[in-house]
Amino acid sequence: MGLNYYQIKKNILRARKLVIKGTNAAGSGHPGGSFSMAEILGCLFNKHLKFDPNNPQWEDRDRLVLSKGHAAPGLFSNMAVAGYFPESEIETLRKFGSRLQGHPDLKCPGVEFCGGSLGTGLSYSIGIALAAKIDSKDHHVYTIIGDGESDEGQVWEAAMTASKYKVDNLTAFLDRNFIQQDSYTEKIMPLDENLEGSDISEMWKDASRWKTGDKWRSFGWNVIEIDGHRVEQIDVAITKANATKGVPTIIISRTIKGKSVEHMEDNPQWHGKSPDSDVVPIINLELDSQFMIAPSIIAGDMTNLENEIKRCVSGRADYIHLDVMDGQFVPTKTFDHNKIKELRPLTVIPFDTHLMINEPVKYVKDYVDAGSDIITVHAEVTDESSFGEIHDILKQNQVGVGFSINPDTELPEWSYKFLQSIDQLIVMSVVPGQSGQKYIEETHAKMLKLNSILKQHNFSGYIEADGGVNLENIGSVFADGARVFVGGGAIIGQQDVRSAIRDFRTAVLKSRRLGLLSKANELGGIDLVNKWIGLHVIGEKQEQLKKIAQEAGYV
Amino acid sequence: MTDMRSEYSKSLIQLGKENPNVVVLGADTTDSLKTSEFGKEFPNRFFNVGIAEANLVTMSAGLAVSGKISFASTYAIFLPGRAVDQIRNNIAYPSPPGKKGLNVKLVTSHGGLSVGPDGGSHQTIEDIAIMRVIPNFRVFIPADTVSVSKLTALMAREYGPFYMRMARSKTPLIHSDSQEFQIGKAITLRDGSDCTIAACGITVRMALEAAESLEQEGISCRVLDMFSIKPLDHEILEKAARETGCIVTTEEHNIVGGMGSAVAESVSESYPVPIKRIGAQDMFGESARDNEVPLLLEKHGITSFNIAKQVREIRSKKL
Repeated sequence: MGLNYYQIKKNILRARKLVIKGTNAAGSGHPGGSFSMAEILGCLFNKHLKFDPNNPQWEDRDRLVLSKGHAAPGLFSNMAVAGYFPESEIETLRKFGSRLQGHPDLKCPGVEFCGGSLGTGLSYSIGIALAAKIDSKDHHVYTIIGDGESDEGQVWEAAMTASKYKVDNLTAFLDRNFIQQDSYTEKIMPLDENLEGSDISEMWKDASRWKTGDKWRSFGWNVIEIDGHRVEQIDVAITKANATKGVPTIIISRTIKGKSVEHMEDNPQWHGKSPDSDVVPIINLELDSQFMIAPSIIAGDMTNLENEIKRCVSGRADYIHLDVMDGQFVPTKTFDHNKIKELRPLTVIPFDTHLMINEPVKYVKDYVDAGSDIITVHAEVTDESSFGEIHDILKQNQVGVGFSINPDTELPEWSYKFLQSIDQLIVMSVVPGQSGQKYIEETHAKMLKLNSILKQHNFSGYIEADGGVNLENIGSVFADGARVFVGGGAIIGQQDVRSAIRDFRTAVLKSRRLGLLSKANELGGIDLVNKWIGLHVIGEKQEQLKKIAQEAGYV
Repeated sequence: MTDMRSEYSKSLIQLGKENPNVVVLGADTTDSLKTSEFGKEFPNRFFNVGIAEANLVTMSAGLAVSGKISFASTYAIFLPGRAVDQIRNNIAYPSPPGKKGLNVKLVTSHGGLSVGPDGGSHQTIEDIAIMRVIPNFRVFIPADTVSVSKLTALMAREYGPFYMRMARSKTPLIHSDSQEFQIGKAITLRDGSDCTIAACGITVRMALEAAESLEQEGISCRVLDMFSIKPLDHEILEKAARETGCIVTTEEHNIVGGMGSAVAESVSESYPVPIKRIGAQDMFGESARDNEVPLLLEKHGITSFNIAKQVREIRSKKL
């Protein structure tokens, strides 16, 4: 059974940390390409791939072929999280006597393909897929190829062959991170078109310049193009691919090399290099500090919520926050599950359903069926028994479990035992009931207190800040520990949702950078602060970091 | 005279009937190699990937890792040379627990200089050297159609990667149907005490002819069919060195890195004696019509006449 969106993200984070741990211990390796495909592998391992870590040779397992074998740390870390071997074994990566070779190897049970020499994984996968067809087996083959290795002619030999033999039990992913060893792909051997200048973001921002999909379509493949860091898009793409018969499918996933660690992102230097030990704790903190923006659509035009959803989509929201109010728990009434069901087909962006209703246990299943990805219920209208019931229903249906407290409510003691399996905790910073209220300043102090309780009870979900979050206070709310930010008037209330979300991200990023610099200062003083700043060589990052460090008095 | 490719095709069809896991792959040479016959019999176990040798090799590996016994075939010039990376990294290197390499049999035709009119671009004199240096691979050069049929069956039976190179032209029968073929065991075709001629492929016949003519001169030659170049029959070679005191090797391959080199490596470690290697003289081949092939071979000294000449000369160098 697959995991819910939140747990997939959690496992992706665990895997990313293992990549850092492994490559650091090895003193070499390829974190960049491991991170660009992190969401793809996470989605496969935690939801779609059929496998049994206790029986790696299980005949009916799906096969995962990592053609871009240098991203071995990414594969091994997911295998560790999935239970093939203890997570501590990642520290043997690339060492003498280890099963975890520099490139994936059959020596490690569960690995299907010896990668390393590029451009061959797709041909190999076709062989596996054809063997399955001969044997009338219905397992599936998933193959991850890189854009750099697409320079190899054999990739295109395989592309033709898969099409000729109608290998529909094979789904390929192209990890389109735009970087190969020497430099940007579009400088070395363009798949889309030649890159003039050196700003790769120019290329991936402009869809009209992408030619890679056309190439694959002309080879007879079903092509799905997605943002390869959006779990929900990967999920839907895999489902569509598996339902496509008669032709092979390639999911062209636009990704960022080194994704989630700012100094590695889009930086060709991090193709094959390991992080130094002194920066590892800072990187881990950075990985723990990933955040999401969730526009709340009730702040918009309630008579045309369809349009509000569309604005969220074009604004690239991470979640869509749906405030369900029943006119009883709160004085206002908004919409119910029927509306959510109507809105669901409009987007694959996760629906973050916040039930501000009485007796949620009675209705929670309706909201599951309507297509919510996470459902949050309030402490004020649940008790240990009803929340237990809600918790189980949600887990069984692969829906995230959310719990919420009003400004005047303390986290009830009965909820402590649920904390380690709760995916999201909403700490209301306004009295719920209507949009447009001011952030209650006491929330900062409340968060401080809460954090120690949460830590004590192994809470590992996301804290969502809901109520009065705006550009002025979002940095401090982030510093309090919130990782999901609901934006009502400050996002949906704005003319340009996209730039409002971008501004939110920039503000959080600034706060995050300060937090990381402060960690560097704490661990290694000015030298480590300077080293950390010096790692950020792409774009404007270095100057921006310098400024933050100066303002904070670290340099 | 019989045709190796027809024999190979017949053997494959027989194997296909006996074992549903046998699959055959080709690269736009399937009519020439007659593997298309297998395709007619078993269409869902036959794959023609077009002129794409790299893909041919790697797909064979993918089928093999899934439990199939892959026979992948095309011309010798295109397989080891064109796809050596895939042969190494996709067939030889990947080793499932307890096994060495994947279960792929690369069987090629048109090996050596005797390819004839197509010219030097098509005459591989490097494939033995390439294939024998790759760990986990076993390398066979059959001398006749009996060898082809027996070795094809043997490869299907034995797990692991094999390379077998056949000749383009029809060949005379060397072995009887009852001849046994074992991996790593050379076959003594003729006993003798004055010199050993170690031969493979189409030169086995030449070695026998040379031995016969030398017998008229009172020189007794031992003739070995070294069909198994890897693993090599070290035992029989050491014995030959001890008992006959000198060895002439002959093959349709560069003298650098070929069967002769393998013999020299072995004997120099076990019982060093003078060795003379006959083969392509580290030069490429060239076009020769079928009836001119003997002239091309003669240019490189690959004739029974030259074998006999070298035997006479090497005897004087005996230690």
